[in-house]
Amino acid sequence: MFKKVEERIIDQLINICGENDVLTNDEDLERYSHDESSRFYAHLPEVVVRPESTQEVSKILKLANENLIPVTPRGAGSGLAGGAIPLYGGIVLSFEKMNQILEIDKVNLTATSEPGVVTNDLCRKVAEEELFYPGYPMSVETSFIGGNVATNAGGSKVIKYGNTGHHILGLEVVLPSGEIINIGGKRRKDSSGYNLLNLFIGSEGTLGVFTKIIVNLIPLPPYTVDLLVPFPTIESAIYTVPKIISESKVLPCAIEFVDRGSYHLSSIYSKERWEYQDRAEAFLIIQFDGNNKNQLEEAYIRAGEVSLKEKALEVFVAENPFASEKLWRIRRNYLEAIKAIDPYVILGDAVVPISLIPEMLRRIREIGERYKVEIYNVAHAGDGNIHSAPIKPKGLSPEEWYPIQEKILDEISIAAVELGGAVSGEHGIGFLKKKILHLSKNKQILIMKELKRAFDPNGIMNPGKIFNS
Amino acid sequence: MRIIILIKQVPATDKVKMDEETGTMKREEVESVINPLDLYAIEAGLQVRERIKEDIEIVVISMGPPKAKEAIKEAISMGCDKGYLLSDKTFAGADTWATSFTLSTFIKKLGEFSIIFTGERATDGETGQVGPSLSAQLDLPILTYVSKIKEIGKDYIIVEREIEEGTEVVFSSLPCVISVIKAISEPRLPTLAGKLRAREREIPIITLKDLGVSERDVGLLGSPTRVVKIFYPKLSREGIKIKEKNPERAVDIIIKFLEERGIL
Repeated sequence: MFKKVEERIIDQLINICGENDVLTNDEDLERYSHDESSRFYAHLPEVVVRPESTQEVSKILKLANENLIPVTPRGAGSGLAGGAIPLYGGIVLSFEKMNQILEIDKVNLTATSEPGVVTNDLCRKVAEEELFYPGYPMSVETSFIGGNVATNAGGSKVIKYGNTGHHILGLEVVLPSGEIINIGGKRRKDSSGYNLLNLFIGSEGTLGVFTKIIVNLIPLPPYTVDLLVPFPTIESAIYTVPKIISESKVLPCAIEFVDRGSYHLSSIYSKERWEYQDRAEAFLIIQFDGNNKNQLEEAYIRAGEVSLKEKALEVFVAENPFASEKLWRIRRNYLEAIKAIDPYVILGDAVVPISLIPEMLRRIREIGERYKVEIYNVAHAGDGNIHSAPIKPKGLSPEEWYPIQEKILDEISIAAVELGGAVSGEHGIGFLKKKILHLSKNKQILIMKELKRAFDPNGIMNPGKIFNS
Repeated sequence: MRIIILIKQVPATDKVKMDEETGTMKREEVESVINPLDLYAIEAGLQVRERIKEDIEIVVISMGPPKAKEAIKEAISMGCDKGYLLSDKTFAGADTWATSFTLSTFIKKLGEFSIIFTGERATDGETGQVGPSLSAQLDLPILTYVSKIKEIGKDYIIVEREIEEGTEVVFSSLPCVISVIKAISEPRLPTLAGKLRAREREIPIITLKDLGVSERDVGLLGSPTRVVKIFYPKLSREGIKIKEKNPERAVDIIIKFLEERGIL
């Protein structure tokens, strides 16, 4: 079906992007062969191109489409579902050089960005204007805004602000034919026909690629307060979450759950001793933000008092940036900390209604016991998204471990679907969760396939991802 | 026994805007926080109390505008007992000499104490002079860059201090002034109970009148330092970019470059 990338195609790519941005050496290609899921699934592309403009992207896709060459779009490579792995070789279309913030519009409260901008850089830039981009993923320090849109990334602030998709107003999209279309724009409303914008958000590069992204901005909330709350049991921590939401009278912008094992690993990784690391089974990190300092103070006092009533061991309050940074390091370092002890780890991404988090965690523990495997969990408790990390038992080789790990993660996904959840909350399907997508979206996959054929009749866009076409 | 901790409120960011005309910081434009290095002084004080298990009163003192009360309350929420804010229009513009004079005048009035803890320096002025200057004005021993308290008795203390060659173990009589560095211990987070206690606590304001000294000895008038010029340091880097693709020839170029400058 797909054709190989021949010498003449390379020459044409060089004509489009210039010699420096067409990579063919194996050592150059290696780093485009995997993402932050496991290297176990790495696959080399035949060529990497690094376009610098929409026109170049258009010419590359047209060329690939006419010659039936698969194209795998790539952002920062920080994905956790294998979405950026070029399963069929072909072309990797890397957006690393399209990294300009084109405009910050203070009247319409939008920013227009190229896809290769690191999301944190965008956040920092708009913060200089006292503005805030609320679609704030956990991987904010590395991931690109383009990848965030492609996976409809979430993050820790979804409970108050929603995920990436809620803050995308417009996209410039290049279709496989090379055609450039503009969807949405700076307008805040649009009831004119089908909502194609939401079709492209989370499409993981299977329909087309984004070359410009218009995001929503809001005024930067000047005050934040963070709480770190250790609990004696997992249940007491989780049962407190809905009470905090209902009784604080101010919606927290984040409620993160960290279990004892994850907390401990993260503290070792940071070479710090953290409060209650030997005495608590679970921790909540709660953040409030807002414009009114007194209102925030009332909110965190109420949240703290509710927690203490529900058997919290202590309530720590971080009101200055140093304390807050220390506290968030616990959560942000988690993935790196786990990778330091198990480089083969793959994170689950199941999501359930928040009321069912305790049941979901119970089932995860039961799965772990059945396989005799330690499973660490962190969760965006405010939105029901649980990241489970089954840890490779000592003595198993990676080859022996992968099939077991896959089974465990599949069972966790199945449990989530049974509880009315979904197999992926924010990382996307990529190809790692393709097999189990039909569990949560069986009939919809047929419609998705029809839609893909309409945009990408030759099936060159990120083949092998989300579903088998 | 009483321990005194000196703290300062500083701008929350390191990107402070300077007024190049007057040579002072534009403080009003940024949020203020407790000087991060002072958190280690607070932690050191709290740990001494936990270690001795005696009834020790920990008093926090700061000099600054009225809103510096927030920094004192933060210290109380971490576990300190009470605080005083030295605040008066005449104190404004003080250099390190006038600041330590004002602080030491108040400390003399406060009565007996065993240790004064300070941070290594403040992250805004970056001088690290107030602690040592204060010790001179109080005629007390000063132990700077302290990384560990090894032993503490009724009238003596043994500490480790970091010096360029390594670690120095120092014995000192009490009372004394100690400036601590980060190695002393990670500062604890304030608790909710601490926050609530701090909220209720009144912070007395100490003015020029309370100190009973002359206006000429404090603030800008009492400061021998004059800022003559203020400017941003310019970093200049001289380098060459080697475009040679052959690694051996590229290495030869680097070696030649370094030799010409006497580095190799």
